[in-house]
Amino acid sequence: MIKVKDVSFSYQAGTEIIKDITLHFDQRSTAIIGQNGAGKTTFVKLLKGLLKPSSGDIIIGDSSVNETTPATLAKQIGLVFQNPNDQIFKRSVLEEVLFGPLNIGQNPELAKENALNALKMVGLENRLEVNPQDLSLSDKKLLCIASIIAMDTNIIILDEPTIAQDHLGKQKIKEIIQSLKEKQKLVMTIIHDMDFVAENFERTIVFQQGKAILDGSTREVFAESDILAAARVEPPSITQLGYWLGYKQVFLTEKELIETIKTDSKIAL
Amino acid sequence: MKALTLYEDRNTFIHHVHPINKLIYIFIIIVVPLILPLFPVLIAGIIMNTVLLLIANVFKKSLPIFGFVLLILLTVLIIQGLFHAENATPLFHLGPLLFYKEGFFYALQITLRVLNIVAAFMILVLTTKPSDLVETLVRKGLSPKIGYVLQSVFQIIPQMLSTMETISDAQRSRGMETEGNLFVRIKAFLPLLGPVVLNSLIQTRERAMALEVRGFSSLRHKTFLNEVKNYRYTTFIQFTLWLVLLAAIIWRVVL
Amino acid sequence: MKKIVVENLKYRYPSTEKLALDDISFTINQGEFIGIIGQNSAGKSTLCQALVGLVPHFYQGAYGGKVIVDGIEVKQSSISELSLKVGIVFQNPFTQVTGSKLTVYEEIAFGLENMGLTRIEMLERIDSVLDLFDITAVKNRNPFDLSGGQMQRMAIASIVAMKPDVIVLDEPTSQLDPQGSEEVFRAIGELSNQGMTVVMVEHKIEKIAEYSDRVLLLHEGKCVDFASPADIFSRDDLHEYGVVAPVYTRVCQALKQKNIDKKTYPATLSEAVEVLRGKIHD
Ligand SMILES: Nc1ncnc2c1ncn2[C@@H]1O[C@H](COP(=O)(O)OP(=O)(O)OP(=O)(O)O)[C@@H](O)[C@H]1O
Ligand SMILES: Nc1ncnc2c1ncn2[C@@H]1O[C@H](COP(=O)(O)OP(=O)(O)OP(=O)(O)O)[C@@H](O)[C@H]1O
Ligand SMILES: [Mg+2]
Ligand SMILES: [Mg+2]
Repeated sequence: MIKVKDVSFSYQAGTEIIKDITLHFDQRSTAIIGQNGAGKTTFVKLLKGLLKPSSGDIIIGDSSVNETTPATLAKQIGLVFQNPNDQIFKRSVLEEVLFGPLNIGQNPELAKENALNALKMVGLENRLEVNPQDLSLSDKKLLCIASIIAMDTNIIILDEPTIAQDHLGKQKIKEIIQSLKEKQKLVMTIIHDMDFVAENFERTIVFQQGKAILDGSTREVFAESDILAAARVEPPSITQLGYWLGYKQVFLTEKELIETIKTDSKIAL
Repeated sequence: MKALTLYEDRNTFIHHVHPINKLIYIFIIIVVPLILPLFPVLIAGIIMNTVLLLIANVFKKSLPIFGFVLLILLTVLIIQGLFHAENATPLFHLGPLLFYKEGFFYALQITLRVLNIVAAFMILVLTTKPSDLVETLVRKGLSPKIGYVLQSVFQIIPQMLSTMETISDAQRSRGMETEGNLFVRIKAFLPLLGPVVLNSLIQTRERAMALEVRGFSSLRHKTFLNEVKNYRYTTFIQFTLWLVLLAAIIWRVVL
Repeated sequence: MKKIVVENLKYRYPSTEKLALDDISFTINQGEFIGIIGQNSAGKSTLCQALVGLVPHFYQGAYGGKVIVDGIEVKQSSISELSLKVGIVFQNPFTQVTGSKLTVYEEIAFGLENMGLTRIEMLERIDSVLDLFDITAVKNRNPFDLSGGQMQRMAIASIVAMKPDVIVLDEPTSQLDPQGSEEVFRAIGELSNQGMTVVMVEHKIEKIAEYSDRVLLLHEGKCVDFASPADIFSRDDLHEYGVVAPVYTRVCQALKQKNIDKKTYPATLSEAVEVLRGKIHD
């Protein structure tokens, strides 16, 4: 759905932030992980067309970002910003969510329906008239997610969606990602929470200093502990526990580990 | 998000002039034409300012601002040239329009004065790091709070621009067209204004908190990270500036 | 030595009807590392703001009870004077930037200038926090031209450089890469060992379990429990407060393996490994 070809980018001449990246994205849900400052946010802003590559090209569907405006691309690709303060600009929760759908040409009834559905998914359906500035950070982030989901684009990128979320918040986001996957959409998420990556994504890409140094199924990627350590990423807690208990295999969920211990155990459990 | 300042980091003589001297210079540029309301004085001011901007290597950077100011002044020139109350002596025709000497010169004088003042401020703003100016004044006894307000004034334009950029990104990434012909751009500009003002206000409030939790209003004696800079020829320049003022006064009295 | 005393603290925001903090009382000793946990909207950030005086000085509203830090009643002191003793790192680092400095280096110096430190002392402290939080490479960058994680590191650095007696951190590692958050916990833990009193809000429950001396569980503005990590995470009603125990605890609970005290479940990786290792065939 996205083809990235030899893309480089720099904010200031002389320091390249994205270095000659070539990647293809299909429908597999994808996590992008890596060190602070590795260039993850910059990379997705390039996909979104908000920044233009200094060389190379990106093809979304069948249009090249170099030849299209972000506004046109908005029909196909949605991005939830890392900092909610950068995204929110309307005076009520409902207006904020309606902005995108109306602008990409959904008719008012459909837009309203999509907006209300999206707000229900994040649990803000009872706060339609609240000024977004009075929301706590976690709710602001959920509002930003709702504003993008309501646009019903085929590609959805989330930049650190779990910031400030408690267990329930993460659960909601997990369900949202599942439902988007079921609708055959490409979900791409930048995230530092490895436990969340392990549970939710089929594919994982590791960024380091402007390059994609590792790309594969999530299980394969978490098996590469040396490369991960170099990219300053830790395996998920459950993987670590399995490792310290002396297992060779890579565990991604609690259930996997518990079952394995149960069958291995000397004691009656 | 861009740097919140108009300051241009260059290494020229003007950049090494003491900020206080630049303030005195602005004062002189404002006051001397009031003491000596003569065209040659205004012209001399224009020449002086242009030379200084060129030396400081920021002339190009100041052009858009002059362009904007001139656009406004041009309307003054036209209105006064045509309709000034004391208009009596015809000066020239422009198509069907007749410009009068009194109004035209009156407006020209205003134009030159404003240009001079704007230019003098540009010299200060473009060649002085806001924090250097504020620190100099605070060292000389100005209250840090007033200093902060002063600095914020310097930052208003760049700050608005950066807020505008942020909101514009939020809008175009959700399908609002901001690129294209003039009409599209104007159409995109209007819905920006409300949010820009509102978000700027919110930011101001957040900033106030950020300052307080770092001890900004504490009663302790403040110190500075930056050492007092070695400014060049400070006394000499200051002396010359005051001399110019004195000369203007004497000229006025003697004449 | 008692460092923070909170007595019957109640607070309500002006625009709301519900109490954000509802009759909270507790005491924190000098040098303790306190973790605060609770679901979204539990009142964690509000409590942080009450400890540094932003509540009630900045946010008006109904306020009752007392917060005493180092013998000073917060309500009677100005935020600025208090800030030299009690530092706070905000939940959103973006709102912590003063906006009056052009480089990361100067931004960190801002608080130090207000403290009246000598230039030499400033340089020393800034270099050390830049190194501690791994942002030396961006020290000459504009504070707004940073990645989210870099900005969060800068926010922590700018408060730690002030060396306050008490440091309050509201989810300081939410945008950090895994090793970065480990390093921040370790650095803050080290400061606490050296006598700094630490109050940290975090959803990263595994880290809270590992580093906290005691954990305060907050729910709908009330203090539900304030006890050791093992005690808190062994509670069987945790989920009622929207909190989930560390994955290590959950695995041990599923396998019914308690600590040697026979009462609590392991809360950290090392405890879990100790309890489980002997029970597995190789
Ligand atoms: N506006 C900007 N101007 C200059 N440099 C920038 C700007 N924004 C980001 N950078 C730099 O580009 C690099 C990549 O930043 P980016 O925001 O893409 O990182 P990231 O991988 O998203 O990090 P994080 O996990 O901290 O969010 C960083 O070194 C950052 O300092
Ligand atoms: N500025 C405000 N005005 C009005 N109500 C507020 C304000 N800030 C917070 N609240 C409300 O006070 C309650 C406590 O909020 P607080 O931000 O302290 O929660 P929190 O535990 O920090 O949550 P989170 O995990 O989302 O950060 C919530 O119901 C919230 O909606
Ligand atoms: Mg980022
Ligand atoms: Mg909070």
